[in-house]
Amino acid sequence: MNMVSQHRIRRRMAATTPLLLALLLLGFVLAISLTGDRALARMAAETLIRVTLVVGFWIFVGNSGVVSFGHAAFACLGAYVSAWTTLKPAMKATLLPGLPDLLANAEWSVLPAAVAGGLLAAVVALLTGAAILRLSGIAASIATFAFLAMVNTIWANWTGVTGGTSSVVGLARYVSPWVALGWAVVTLLVAALYGASASGLALRATREDEVAASASGIDRYRHRLLSYTLSAFFCGVGGALMGHFIGVINPDGFYLGLTFLMLAMLVVGGIGSLSGAVVGVLALSIAVEALVRMEKGVTLGATTFALPPGSQEIIIAVAMILVLIFRPAGLMAGREIMLPARWVAGRHSTKN
Amino acid sequence: MSKLAVHDLAVRYGKLTALAEVSFTVAEGERVFISGPNGAGKSSLLSALAGAVRAAHGRIEMDGDILSGLGPEAIARRGLSMVPEGRRIFAGLTVQENLMVGTGMRRDRGAVADDLETVFNAFPILRERARAPAGALSGGQQQMLAISRALMTNPKVILVDEPSLGLAPKVVDEVYDRLTDLQTLRGLTMIIVEQSSARAARVGGRMLLMRSGRIVADGDATGFAARDLLTEAYFGAPT
Amino acid sequence: MSLQLFFDALALGGIYAIAALGIALIFGVMKLVNFAHGQFIACAVFALILPSTDAMAVLGLGRLPALVLVPVMLAFGAGLALLAEALVFRPMRNASPVALMVGSFALGVALQNLLLVLYGGRPKAVSLWAELGHPVQVGPAEVPLLQLIVIAAVLAILLGLAVMLRRTRIGLEMRAAAEDFAMARMLGVRANRVISGAFALSGGLAAVVALVLVAQTGVADVRMGGQIMLVAFIATVVGGMGSLSGAVAAGLGIGAVSALLQAGLPAEARPFRDAFLYGGVILVLLFRPQGLFASAGSKPRV
Repeated sequence: MNMVSQHRIRRRMAATTPLLLALLLLGFVLAISLTGDRALARMAAETLIRVTLVVGFWIFVGNSGVVSFGHAAFACLGAYVSAWTTLKPAMKATLLPGLPDLLANAEWSVLPAAVAGGLLAAVVALLTGAAILRLSGIAASIATFAFLAMVNTIWANWTGVTGGTSSVVGLARYVSPWVALGWAVVTLLVAALYGASASGLALRATREDEVAASASGIDRYRHRLLSYTLSAFFCGVGGALMGHFIGVINPDGFYLGLTFLMLAMLVVGGIGSLSGAVVGVLALSIAVEALVRMEKGVTLGATTFALPPGSQEIIIAVAMILVLIFRPAGLMAGREIMLPARWVAGRHSTKN
Repeated sequence: MSKLAVHDLAVRYGKLTALAEVSFTVAEGERVFISGPNGAGKSSLLSALAGAVRAAHGRIEMDGDILSGLGPEAIARRGLSMVPEGRRIFAGLTVQENLMVGTGMRRDRGAVADDLETVFNAFPILRERARAPAGALSGGQQQMLAISRALMTNPKVILVDEPSLGLAPKVVDEVYDRLTDLQTLRGLTMIIVEQSSARAARVGGRMLLMRSGRIVADGDATGFAARDLLTEAYFGAPT
Repeated sequence: MSLQLFFDALALGGIYAIAALGIALIFGVMKLVNFAHGQFIACAVFALILPSTDAMAVLGLGRLPALVLVPVMLAFGAGLALLAEALVFRPMRNASPVALMVGSFALGVALQNLLLVLYGGRPKAVSLWAELGHPVQVGPAEVPLLQLIVIAAVLAILLGLAVMLRRTRIGLEMRAAAEDFAMARMLGVRANRVISGAFALSGGLAAVVALVLVAQTGVADVRMGGQIMLVAFIATVVGGMGSLSGAVAAGLGIGAVSALLQAGLPAEARPFRDAFLYGGVILVLLFRPQGLFASAGSKPRV
């Protein structure tokens, strides 16, 4: 078999990844909707929202190799923009008196609101990334932490516009498992397309060997900025979905807790591949669900065992550390889920 | 018993074999040059001996002690010191501090002071600049510092990786003069990776020619220069 | 600038410098950004009180007389750091800097939630060395005695650290290891000793910060770790990763700017002081990405 057709086959194999992942998620939602269990449906929706968030997160971290601690801030931005544009003006007048008139009177439908959330996040990413992404990997990571704290401080104190530390309530709860699935699939496709694009490939080259990449003329900064902005868009949308899923938002929900969860899902699944991100979300969502139930209390016979609150995070943190020690590449070890070669080979199989 | 014995040493970086089952012995006080084209595995060999890289398999023995599998600190403490490629001096520390880094494991203060004197006598420029930051020294001076630093660990065997790299020929002459003097003075066993086999032949000693991770020839350095073996090792046998 | 403000800036900057040093020490030696450092500080804070979820804390260790308490706390801090090194970081010794950083973040989360489980989420009032709040007359200003002690302690620590690094063997080995760890090992420097030394020092410094925080604010809050850690990190980055003097200078600088902002900003803007700080830092980095005092080993050899 010559090199050209081998390459073509590999490209086809790679293209099957987002499709297979989408099918996996579809199957997940179907299975749960068949049970008719409402609690499970909630879990499914939450899991799929996390897919949007974490895959969006992966678009930057997975391709650039730079860990960002600030993506929860993009989710925060997205959530609040969606709230600002969809809440009834009467509510906004009482809760958020500081909003400019344009927003205070806005009453959009949910889809443009979510997109607007993503867009604002993307714009902020573009502006802050311009500064942050010039730094070396580790310093950039610390700067993203500063960015997260900055957004959190502003959000917690700008009471007139954001409601400060008290929650903003009344968001329309339109996020069913199917809505969440829709966005998750879109995110997946875009992530796969970006990963296969010239920019995505160039960025991954810089992750492997900085010197060689720059010697090849790759402008690391530009590609980082592109992936950072794209990544922020989807985290913004994810934030909007989160907000409308719970119906209530406040700045603390988009701070260290969310950051930790997103990072844990990437690490456990494997930072190196898109499939890793998705697998990580699924695995940890199931684990979190189990732990939450154990924190609420498990009744065995006459007694109820309950884990003290906070133990959930401890267990996940310990799991994360164990993964980092024993299987640092994560569950998927950087590999993608794809159809085997002979299934995609078609006419190019044995000739030549 | 030989000073240093290497059996079937292999070093791999992922799927790439840098060193493929190399075996040889070195007698006490011997001076051995390792020459060969780029990628022959010379630096990998030295790195494996010093414990800087983990060997895929094989055994390294010094005076009967097994060195393979030990970390670099343990190997240095047993008396094998390395002067690595590119010198790698501690630029932010002073010259004297550089010299003293390796003396922590030595118990005898008097001997350490004596060694410092020896080194200062061999390389007077180091005594002159003892309190200056090491980063301010010239390339040749840094090489002298790197060699002295390794000597301060009181080694029995010393490995030197490409001492002439980036230095002017006259400076290289001086470095080799001092090196050979010190070797005789201290009864050291030396293994030197020297890209220029002509230079090795001039200094004199035994030579191991390497190519593609293997030793292809082993003999006297001056003898080699005269024979076709040298060109063969570099360019392959004539077809 | 008033004398009062000067002391405020010095005391605040001093503590930030000590916190930043804790991080710079470990980064210098093993290229690890220890995100758990803030939680080491928080654990030391909570070590002073008995585990309970009450709002009024009951002093446990905190009852000890100062002369005993301080060494005990230093030992606690060092011990905690050494334990973290042995259990989490040593097994990850050969991991990439990114993996180490993420691992330290996870450790930090685990520690913070452990405190949550043991002490509950409500901030607690702690009364430690309350007598030191007494103002002392220094020229035209009235300065709390505690602040003067903090400034003196910071100076003593910096001096002690400088002497240790320049005059002792372990200090020499740590400086060499910070420049080129592999080379230092080839000269017989024991990797474990140097790393443990850096962690023990870092833990001790964390304990100092904890004592000062509790004495100054009178509060023990599980969130304390995160807040001070952020400033410490930013100081480390602005000062130049791995540069100890840079971390100190940047810590002092950030403390000074913070105190100035607190005094100078109009009242409505005060809560945003931190946001200004972080934003300003990102701006500094834009113009000087390698930090103010980039260390010799910061760029890869090509």
